[in-house]
Amino acid sequence: MITVHSLTKRYGATTAVDQLTFEVPPGVVTGFLGPNGSGKSTTMRMIMGLDIPESGTALIDGQVYSELAWPMRQVGGLLEAKAFHPTRTARNHLRCLALANDIPLRRVDEVLDLVGLTSVAGRRAGKFSLGMGQRLGIAAALLGDPGVLLFDEPVNGLDPEGIRWVRNLLRDLAAEGRTVLVSSHLISEMALTADRLVVIGRGRLIAETGVADFVARSGTAAVRLVTPDVAAFSAALAAEGASVGAGEDGSLTVEGLTAPQIGDLAARDRLRVHELVPILASLEDAFMELTQDEVEYRPSTNAGVAAGAKE
Amino acid sequence: MSQTALALPPGRYRFSNAVRSEVAKIATLRSTVITLGLTVVAGLLVTGLVTNAALGHSPGYYMGFDPTSEALTGLIVAALTGGVFGALLITAEYSSGTIRATLAAIPRRPVLLGAKTGVTAAVMLVFCELLSFVSFFLGEAILSGGGAPSASLGSPGALRAVVLTGLFIALMTLMSFGFGLIFRSTAAAIASFVAVVFVLPLVMHGISEPDVRYLPTQILTDSVMRTVRQGPGGVIHPLSPTVGILLMALYAAVAMGAGALLFLRRDA
Ligand SMILES: Nc1ncnc2c1ncn2[C@@H]1O[C@H](COP(=O)(O)OP(=O)(O)OP(=O)(O)O)[C@@H](O)[C@H]1O
Ligand SMILES: [Mg+2]
Repeated sequence: MITVHSLTKRYGATTAVDQLTFEVPPGVVTGFLGPNGSGKSTTMRMIMGLDIPESGTALIDGQVYSELAWPMRQVGGLLEAKAFHPTRTARNHLRCLALANDIPLRRVDEVLDLVGLTSVAGRRAGKFSLGMGQRLGIAAALLGDPGVLLFDEPVNGLDPEGIRWVRNLLRDLAAEGRTVLVSSHLISEMALTADRLVVIGRGRLIAETGVADFVARSGTAAVRLVTPDVAAFSAALAAEGASVGAGEDGSLTVEGLTAPQIGDLAARDRLRVHELVPILASLEDAFMELTQDEVEYRPSTNAGVAAGAKE
Repeated sequence: MSQTALALPPGRYRFSNAVRSEVAKIATLRSTVITLGLTVVAGLLVTGLVTNAALGHSPGYYMGFDPTSEALTGLIVAALTGGVFGALLITAEYSSGTIRATLAAIPRRPVLLGAKTGVTAAVMLVFCELLSFVSFFLGEAILSGGGAPSASLGSPGALRAVVLTGLFIALMTLMSFGFGLIFRSTAAAIASFVAVVFVLPLVMHGISEPDVRYLPTQILTDSVMRTVRQGPGGVIHPLSPTVGILLMALYAAVAMGAGALLFLRRDA
């Protein structure tokens, strides 16, 4: 369990994290979402005691990180930037870390095997590709078999197979009862991986909910309707106060009434229904909608780039 | 909730865990092995050349001749190595990002700093003491073989000079480690070390000659390595070896102290 309470961090004039409060419960994957520069990495560094907050607390099972008895056996962290020396081999890097927390050295080979780096364990980590470096970071996080895991953009640099592997790994870790906090840019990835979401913008909490709730709560809930009785149905819907738009495939998009209400209307007026489907906002839409006022680094216009590219 | 919490060993990680990790880190860093290896070769080469050049002169040349300090000349190379080594052991952690993994494993910063400082100092002390003795025996063998005045460990002040030279360079290493903690950048830390050890004496010569004796380089060559009073032309009143060592310890403590204060408060 991670408990973040009123956490605040400033870098000069920038308030990177602002009175942030949220919880990460065990047993589920909690996605940590926010636009670029919203303070995700800063928050994770503070949880791990690397950055020192202005005010507020970040506790792991009720303790600040620096007071943990066996930090690597309690918390595993994969941070944004790589954290190994380029001339040290992968195996030696993990051995040095294992010694620091009295972790049995056989565990080094176990995690190397787990992340698929056994064949390159004796190679200098500086020669690793982005994805291999990321795997080494994950191996380090898993070294102490910790109950709490923080991953900052773990799929960064991974190929599709690697992404799927990380997704399953995170879900498996949570299923074992561990606490898993994972940040990502890939919202669609979060939809597949996370059970809960903590969404932040400009360092402040925007939402802390289940993924399904998050989608349901935000965005326009519309209903897709296919009917041969287009004119009559449109009139009936308008009479009920709904707004009706025409889809490209001849379907209607109805806003302002729920699917059950539309079904009941069809029965009452004896109108034919071929298809009636609620359109849920995607996680991406929900995210964009919630954070649109909170985006710090927004591209000015796409038109400018496109025009420039043509010249 | 998680079964892993039950698997925690009793107690907590200790200073000895941090020490073991730091020793492993030094041993697995290629640059450590290369740097120390090169220092042995270059240091002994310098001692060999210098003592060899002291052979076969007229008797007047050997007035005020100090066979002990001649045979320790190569250790000046080790002083430069200490400067690079001390800085690198901390700045490489920052430039590579390893410091985050290190602090994640040992988050109690005083414990980590204590272990790192201790291991750095110990490695350099043992290395420099060994090199100091080897350099001494090599130099004396060349001097006596060539018929020039030579010393043995039993000669007045010789053992003291040999032992203190190693200690002195370990202290210089710690000063550089302190610069590394302050600047977190290899270039800045090594530049500061070179400025204090090699540039400042030149500047000081022009400003206030007698005060040169308070600088690390002069303490090393004129107070610590020397067993015979220099003739005219040398520094007139060198500090005593004890005062010299204490002053160097003070320099190291100031650099380390400032570095430690920053390290304990700063974001990693
Ligand atoms: N060491 C630092 N010094 C100064 N400013 C910093 C530092 N670290 C982060 N910031 C600033 O704090 C804010 C939050 O940055 P952070 O890296 O935590 O965002 P993020 O959510 O992880 O972004 P991304 O999705 O791009 O990784 C940004 O405005 C950033 O410029
Ligand atoms: Mg980030």
